[in-house]
Amino acid sequence: MTDPRIAAVGTSPLGRTDLTGRDLFSVAVTEAFEGLPDPAEIVDAIYVGNQSESYEHQIMYGTLMAEWCGLRHVPAERVEGCAAAGALALRHAVEDVRSGRRDAVLACGVEKMTAGGTAGATDALSAAFDRATEQRSGVTAPSQYALLAQRYLHETDATERDLARIAVKNHKNAAANPRAMFQRETDVETVLDSAYVSPPLKLFDCAPVTDGAAVVLVANEDVTSTLSVDDSVRVAGVGAGANNLSIADRNLTFIEGAHEVATQAYDQAGIEPSDVDIAEVHDAFTVCEALLAEAAGLAPRGKGYESPLAPEDRSAGWTDVQLSTSGGLKARGHPIGATGIAQAVEAYEQLTGTATPERQVDGADTALLINEGGVADAVTVAHVLSAA
Amino acid sequence: MSDNTNTNTNATDADTDAAVDIDVDVDTPDKYATAPRSPEELTSDSPFTLPGFFAALDEGRLLAAACEDCGTRLVPPRPACYDCGSRNLKIERQPETGTVISYTEVRTPPPALADRAPYTIAIVELDSGARLTGRVTVPYADTEIDMPVSLSIRAPEEDERAMALEHELEWPIHEFEPA
Ligand SMILES: [Zn+2]
Repeated sequence: MTDPRIAAVGTSPLGRTDLTGRDLFSVAVTEAFEGLPDPAEIVDAIYVGNQSESYEHQIMYGTLMAEWCGLRHVPAERVEGCAAAGALALRHAVEDVRSGRRDAVLACGVEKMTAGGTAGATDALSAAFDRATEQRSGVTAPSQYALLAQRYLHETDATERDLARIAVKNHKNAAANPRAMFQRETDVETVLDSAYVSPPLKLFDCAPVTDGAAVVLVANEDVTSTLSVDDSVRVAGVGAGANNLSIADRNLTFIEGAHEVATQAYDQAGIEPSDVDIAEVHDAFTVCEALLAEAAGLAPRGKGYESPLAPEDRSAGWTDVQLSTSGGLKARGHPIGATGIAQAVEAYEQLTGTATPERQVDGADTALLINEGGVADAVTVAHVLSAA
Repeated sequence: MSDNTNTNTNATDADTDAAVDIDVDVDTPDKYATAPRSPEELTSDSPFTLPGFFAALDEGRLLAAACEDCGTRLVPPRPACYDCGSRNLKIERQPETGTVISYTEVRTPPPALADRAPYTIAIVELDSGARLTGRVTVPYADTEIDMPVSLSIRAPEEDERAMALEHELEWPIHEFEPA
């Protein structure tokens, strides 16, 4: 058993586009396979993270994406877990290769969120919440996360201004990321002046509705050496787990599911939280970055909101990790089913030293990815990636 | 920091203590009052199914499955306890009073509820420790954490029926009002 490696990556443009889901996938695959043999010569199976059939009135994305990159008669599946679908697809690919069952697997994600406008996205996302109690009460994705944010601001010293600083930091990172949806900076006053979507969360606390696709090729070392790819990163640890579907039943200020899966991934990788150099966490809303930094052991309880500060200015107990160097879901964009894969793309660039100089973290050799589905940790997946 | 964890889950620390005190719902027929151990017990009359749960709610009774092993209250009832895995569950009527744990306002609602927005949403912890998300009948500005509330049950209105699936058409709507 050898650790699988991510041997190639690609993304489509992220944002509102005139391309459909399958076209966005084609763009991402074309980038990933630039200079490589045809996918059919390499790929043994394909997993496609995808949140909702309501955007394009299309299921069977496994079959469709396989066909669109020249594969037939290979296992091909759509993976569903709301916004964690991408990392679930990655996890399936990693487990397939790690077990020796397959040599090379394509892990992908795709979402065409803008197809139904704001109303369509609001409705599609609300399907992630419990039908019996939450949906019938009219909850929405922003309101679910606002329930977390309200409690977080109640229990900690954090303020709305602190959350705004997370948005500002992530916009700054996105401004240096050619893949990002929002390649522009913002400032605290702009964030604070934006309209409440679901108080205490404002428009600039929220990740955008995004079209996009992302692809990573997961392969064993035989494949990576045969392909003689210049850069690859090792998948050293994986964790995955479900918590309650209803947010009411969960701890609102300690994201237990994320803590569990990050710990699993650290243990597999043989590392401690302090070894993590960069982390792409599921900042669908600014408060999530704070909560997940705490859950993953990167920040002390109640102090995760200090993520935008330089390491020397953070409270004792913080590691020197850099969070959301891609711009995060907030500013890189959040094409739901593709987000977990897009996180892996950022880690690949950081760990291979191929990120743009403005956002490249010097000496980054260990990355943590946390991808969540439903509100917060209804399902969570963590990966630890290593440069070595 | 205070602990916002569902208080009844803390009962796992007391597994070896005396049996959990459960006030079995007297209006639930005996054959449906404990968690199903054969498929025949899972009919739409059982509160361990959603039709049975909403039928009781329509009569004004909010039911939970109470775990005999750890004390967790599960709303709506389901056949096993998520906290300890036990299937030793009994149907218990829940108190109608509790407090707001967190709250917000929905300004961009699901399309079907467009005319209702803005409306207030809260997570409420009932006096039994059970937690439930629901709408609050007062504006966001009049709501706060720790506010006492009581449960109210009503028939679905036109917009709520419009978003209901066929099997949900008659299911009542639960809300919280300041106590
Ligand atoms: Zn239990």
